[in-house]
Amino acid sequence: MKRFSNLFKVYGSALLLCSVVLVMSCTDKFDDINTNKNALSNLSAGQLPFLFSKAQSVATNNGWNYQIAQNLFHDQYCQYFANTTTYFPSDRLVIRFDWIRAAWNPIYSEVVPQLQTLLEGYEAGTAENAIAKIWWVYTFHRLTDTWGPVPYTKAGIAGEGIAYDDQQSIYNDLFAKLAEALNTLNGKSGTPYGSFDLIYGGNIDKWIRFGNTLRLRMAIRISAADKPKATSEATAALGGKLLEVSPDHDALITRTEKGADFNGLTIMDWNEFRMSATMESVLKGYGDPRMQVYFSEAADGGYHGLRNGLTSADMAEPKNKATYNSNKGPRWDKTKPGTLETPSNVMATAEAWFLRAEAKEILGLGSGTTKEYYERGIKESMKQWGITDDAAIAAYTASTKTPIAPEDFTNAPAVSSAPVKFDPALAKEQITIQKWLALFPEGVEAWADIRRSRAFKLYPVKQSDNADLPNPADVNTPSNNWIRRIPFIADEKQTNGAEVEKAVSLLGGPDKISTPLWWDKNP
Amino acid sequence: MLTLTRFGFSLKTFKLKAVYLTPNKRMSKKLQLIGLLLWMASATAFAQTVTGKVTSASDGAAIPGASVLVKGTTTGAATDIDGKYSLNVSNPANAVLVVSYIGYRTTEVPVQGRSQVDISLEEDATQLGEVVVTALGISREAKTLVYATQQVKASSLTEVRDANNVLNSLQGKLANVVITQGSGGVGSGARIVLRGNRSIQGSNNALIVVDGVPITNGTNGTVTSDFGGLQGTDGASNINPDDIESMTILRGASAAALYGSAAGNGVILITTKKGSKDRLSVSVNSGVTAERPFILPDLQNEYGQGNSGTLIGTSGESWGAKMTGQTFTGTYGSRKYSAQTDNVKDFFRTGLSLNNSIGISGGSDKMQTYLSYTNNTVQGIMPRNDLDRHTFNLRITNNISKKLTTDAKVTYIMQDIKSKYSTGEGGPVMELYQIPRNVALDDAKKFEEINNVGIPVPAAYPVINPALYQNPYWRVNRQENNESRSRVMGFMLAKYQINDWLSVTGRANIDKIGDELESLAYQGTLGLSSAGGAYSLSRIGVTQKWFDLILSGSNKLSDQVKLEYRAGAILQDNKTTSLFASANGLNIPNTFSLNFATNRDYGQGEVQVQTQSVFAQANLSYKDALFVDASLRNDWDSRLPSPYNYMYPSVGASAILSDLFSLPDALSFLKLSANYAEVGNGGQAQIRFNTYSYSQGAGAGFVARGLTQAIPNLKPEIVRNIEVGLEGKLLENRLGFTVTYYKSNSFNQLLRLKLPVASGFYDKYVNAGNIQNQGVEFVLSGSPIKEGALTWDVAFNFGLNRNKVVELTETVKEFAVSESGFGRSATPVVKEGGSYGDMKGFVWYRENDFKTGDAKSHSGRFVVNADGTPLTSLTTGELQNIGNFNPRSTMGLSNTFEFKGITARLLIDGRVGGVIVDGTEQLLAYNGAPAATANFRAANSWALNGVSKTGSEVSAKTNAQAFWTTASGGRYGTAEFFTYDATNFRVRELSVGYNLPVPENFAIKSARLSLVARNLFWLYRGSAVVEIPGLPKRKMGFDPDMALGNGNWQGVSYGTMPSTRSIGVNLQLTF
Repeated sequence: MKRFSNLFKVYGSALLLCSVVLVMSCTDKFDDINTNKNALSNLSAGQLPFLFSKAQSVATNNGWNYQIAQNLFHDQYCQYFANTTTYFPSDRLVIRFDWIRAAWNPIYSEVVPQLQTLLEGYEAGTAENAIAKIWWVYTFHRLTDTWGPVPYTKAGIAGEGIAYDDQQSIYNDLFAKLAEALNTLNGKSGTPYGSFDLIYGGNIDKWIRFGNTLRLRMAIRISAADKPKATSEATAALGGKLLEVSPDHDALITRTEKGADFNGLTIMDWNEFRMSATMESVLKGYGDPRMQVYFSEAADGGYHGLRNGLTSADMAEPKNKATYNSNKGPRWDKTKPGTLETPSNVMATAEAWFLRAEAKEILGLGSGTTKEYYERGIKESMKQWGITDDAAIAAYTASTKTPIAPEDFTNAPAVSSAPVKFDPALAKEQITIQKWLALFPEGVEAWADIRRSRAFKLYPVKQSDNADLPNPADVNTPSNNWIRRIPFIADEKQTNGAEVEKAVSLLGGPDKISTPLWWDKNP
Repeated sequence: MLTLTRFGFSLKTFKLKAVYLTPNKRMSKKLQLIGLLLWMASATAFAQTVTGKVTSASDGAAIPGASVLVKGTTTGAATDIDGKYSLNVSNPANAVLVVSYIGYRTTEVPVQGRSQVDISLEEDATQLGEVVVTALGISREAKTLVYATQQVKASSLTEVRDANNVLNSLQGKLANVVITQGSGGVGSGARIVLRGNRSIQGSNNALIVVDGVPITNGTNGTVTSDFGGLQGTDGASNINPDDIESMTILRGASAAALYGSAAGNGVILITTKKGSKDRLSVSVNSGVTAERPFILPDLQNEYGQGNSGTLIGTSGESWGAKMTGQTFTGTYGSRKYSAQTDNVKDFFRTGLSLNNSIGISGGSDKMQTYLSYTNNTVQGIMPRNDLDRHTFNLRITNNISKKLTTDAKVTYIMQDIKSKYSTGEGGPVMELYQIPRNVALDDAKKFEEINNVGIPVPAAYPVINPALYQNPYWRVNRQENNESRSRVMGFMLAKYQINDWLSVTGRANIDKIGDELESLAYQGTLGLSSAGGAYSLSRIGVTQKWFDLILSGSNKLSDQVKLEYRAGAILQDNKTTSLFASANGLNIPNTFSLNFATNRDYGQGEVQVQTQSVFAQANLSYKDALFVDASLRNDWDSRLPSPYNYMYPSVGASAILSDLFSLPDALSFLKLSANYAEVGNGGQAQIRFNTYSYSQGAGAGFVARGLTQAIPNLKPEIVRNIEVGLEGKLLENRLGFTVTYYKSNSFNQLLRLKLPVASGFYDKYVNAGNIQNQGVEFVLSGSPIKEGALTWDVAFNFGLNRNKVVELTETVKEFAVSESGFGRSATPVVKEGGSYGDMKGFVWYRENDFKTGDAKSHSGRFVVNADGTPLTSLTTGELQNIGNFNPRSTMGLSNTFEFKGITARLLIDGRVGGVIVDGTEQLLAYNGAPAATANFRAANSWALNGVSKTGSEVSAKTNAQAFWTTASGGRYGTAEFFTYDATNFRVRELSVGYNLPVPENFAIKSARLSLVARNLFWLYRGSAVVEIPGLPKRKMGFDPDMALGNGNWQGVSYGTMPSTRSIGVNLQLTF
């Protein structure tokens, strides 16, 4: 009897154990448990506009990304700013790939996926689809203008080897996409994306102007490499509406201090950059009223810039200290309330007028004169930065002042001898200088334009630590003695090595900073 | 009444007879008479109460639960929590007490008529009955185990304490254990790695188990690069050393197999105290410890503020003139230009930690209770950094019936940490260390001015870059990171003894943590300069539920064959929820509440993981000398794809050779064991599907697809482990040793594999890789002096581990450990063919770096620029291997001396090999503060005798400022100059304890006073790996035990807090 009772208990316990196991082995809820309820698993149509905001924000280098994506490279290579700290070697032309990848990675991983979803989510023929295409073009022309060949047709297609495309084919496709988008937009009404469009709030007219100006920008860019294509694209662009009046048409993107979407230029209060000697030479020489907007007074009350590419020994010089030189303008001064939300410059109306001037000068297109376009460009730029006194603008435009020697530590001479006052013989250089001033602080476009134009010679860097371009100051080297591109990034060589090797052949030269891009031709 | 008397009488008569008869015939009549008289005078004289205390011979600690038995009778008692017993001895003159306790040699003590008999027990590790707590809280006989374990005595954790984390107290006591402490101040999380690193992107921390169930040991944020950040507290730091009864370390996967996930990193098993039967006892432990920095950077005191040898009174650099007491005008007005030798040291305050605990234990046969309260008040060495912790603990054990027993515990922990500070780049430590050598702390203390609207603004302070570095006094006074935690841990366990060979145990365990993290910074604080000040608040809740049911039995299959077996089921459910709110500026400046926010920003997260498991384990023994052990566990894991399950086995065998064969007499015990085990790990939650997430931004915010490609077919990670061990005792057990060899391979690691980003994803999850660790552990214990008044016990442990990254993935051959990429000085990487923790950084070029093909190597003469300064790979961006952060071997030697009630313990430990990059020195070198920068200040005074890239000699001379600013690069530098051999030995712990004599019948039953000290002094510390021509060797100016964080990113010291030397007094009272 006792034995039976024991047995009963044994089996009873075993049964209990089994039943607990059975109850527990209920894996029905496992997938639910493993689902992230604070994220979206599937997108509905109403959620798509949020993706457009993201694509806009990232493509224009927001927040912390701005410094390593743009400020340390493009903004220095167009000599808006010069470096005041030895630990950033990029001003001495050394490319830190772990930084510059910030100009590459977010484009492919944060812009492309959203745009692809939008292009699938909004049928071709809709205004939303067309604007997404324009944004695609904006995004990719900046990318290819930095590297040359980049993954394009295979972009955003998951896999482990992503092929690169050559720059000419990329430009051809970008032009085709632009044409298609502009065709779609003409005659459309409504406010696509509405307030989710952080640049124009869904204003179709402005998007058409933006698209056409972009088309003209790209046409001028390739004018030395493919003149027939440049002519046809420029003609088409000039046939449509361009950016015309500032500030109404200026493309500025809203920033916010929420999340990490602030205006990246506010990091300038880290004192790692100051006004360049180049900027000082031109702004001071011209007595340019924009100087007080672009830059701040240095500690001594004056405006001072320093030379790009200083060595650590040079930095010890008092004239090269951050305190001696001018920081960026007050609107980007993070210590003042609200500056994190200062909108970022995407495209200036003034640029459209300078592009018209170049279309006239280079391609012979347009009904006005180069001088008219040039002067209008200056005027719109002044207005963009709040200088509205027409008399002052007229005086500036008529000024024969030229850039001056910046009194920097290298005792550099004036960077140029071209005055503000239009001179047909100096037209190309004057347009380039004024466009360069007007594009500030959008260094990505400014660097591309300087390279393409070749009409405005910046100061050679004080020292190059990059063996690809050992002596930029050597006057005997041809006019391409300037950093002309960013080499393919180290991560790509690691993760996409075979395709990078093929890409070098598409580049038409070694994978160096001195190799000009397809459109970057000797004049 | 009458019956009683009669009964008593007869009993006494019987006892008298015994007395009478034992001395036998030689006893004279006289003696008989005396005996009779004595009996008549006092009947009780013969049935006397004997009391006493049982202590451990090695450290004098009380032994609770020891059995005290009158030899030849069934009369006995167990000692209480203070080791005290009370016993009726019928024949005190001749009785002999037999005292036994697990782990100690059974001792016989004649009573000799005494009423108080104190007994000191010798430890005996060979004792066959020794019981070890193993996985799931299962107690097993040590000799039946097929794997190595190591025990840590609770007394060694409670005497010399580490105020931050009990895990730090294990330093030097265990073989093959590497402990680094996060340098985020009081309560910082620690990293404890057993037998090497095996996980590239997951945790390498050992699993911490309390009373059979793993506790949550996560960290709310750790520093993952030299950019720095806040180191969170961990789960282990909440464990109250006073409540610990014993600790067992299971290093290998086989020992831990029953824990499944995460057990691949080994397990630290902690068993906490229970109540005891019989008497009520109260113990009080009070300790006070004072701390000062143990090691600070070696700074120069010859040159002050300025540049190129010129005095500049506002400069943040120390490249100025020679300090000779000249008068100058600077940031603080007119001052004497003289060295402030202690301006770094004096910033730190004396840390003070107070520990007060009271434990009450008592109970009856039916129910035992242990109740304790502990208060820890810790004042860190960084001003305003304080910790206050209250731990309440209640344990009730019931013997409801002979068959049913229950055990229940609830622990409540309330912890507040004030003013945690960041380490690394943005913290006060780095800011303090750069203070110019002539700036007095009294001047620096004027860190703020009040502006016209009553708002404090930072006062001028000489730093090299005022946009990046701030007066450290502002940092510690005007910025706060506060953390408060409430945590409940509890379990209920019921065991039913079905019959004499089978029992069933059920357990429910809850661990719930509520954390509130608050961060505030006054307007004007760098890095957080939102207008009006910065404020953020986050709440993180972690809940772990654990239920298990285990059926266990043991049967004798024959006289020589015994079978023990267990089968069970476990349900584990972990859930982490988080809420985050930030103010993004305060509309009313410096009012730290979300109510005043300029832009409120919120976020929320939730991650849940559930595993369901069944397991079986069996142990077969033959002749009590041969053992075979096997286990099998199957897990269903919510993180995996359907059918969610995976299974892993372990098998092992051991033989007690000394029982099976005839061995030389000197060898009293010899055991050989071997085992093989697999352990699985389910990976990571919520990574099987791509999702879109929302983030704050302009307009209505953003929605974007995740950056990491999902892994729909996630596989579990598997660690395969083999272990062979030999354990022996020699010379009548005075010498014992264990030697263990192991090899573990970790497969199918969950990695985030970089993709070509053009694919639309940064990376994707893959299961790949094979990381191998193999090594040897050696533990020796001995008693060189055992007889007489003085005893001396020695314990030595040694461990070495060799790691090899056998395989990563087909396409990726190298991973950076830090997710934030290359930092400012160096970063550890995992590279196929290399070892986990190889460090990469920029180097000083040697001439063979410029050779091609096989001739290329990092050797030969130093390469210098034309101006004589070093040519570093910082200029080319080429990273090179500069060593590995892991020690080649670790060891610890502990000596215990006992002399007439005084116990002294000395622990010396150390590590050999491995490098640490001193990023702190790297940054400081730019400012001219380190001692080495005082040499060659004059222009053209320093010949490095280097060569150009092509090998031609360069005669140009350099000087200190040019050399060090080139080497340092400021915030991004050449790590090789600042790489140190981390080999070091030190006196880790010293304690001297004395059992104060206590009068009998006094309220206090025992009192022990100890003087304790930790981190006393270095015996040896390593030097810089690069010997710079002309300079003396530079010794490490930091402690390799201190890390920026407790994650996998290790090997760099960068604004890391100094470790501390502590000295304290501890008083233990028992009532």
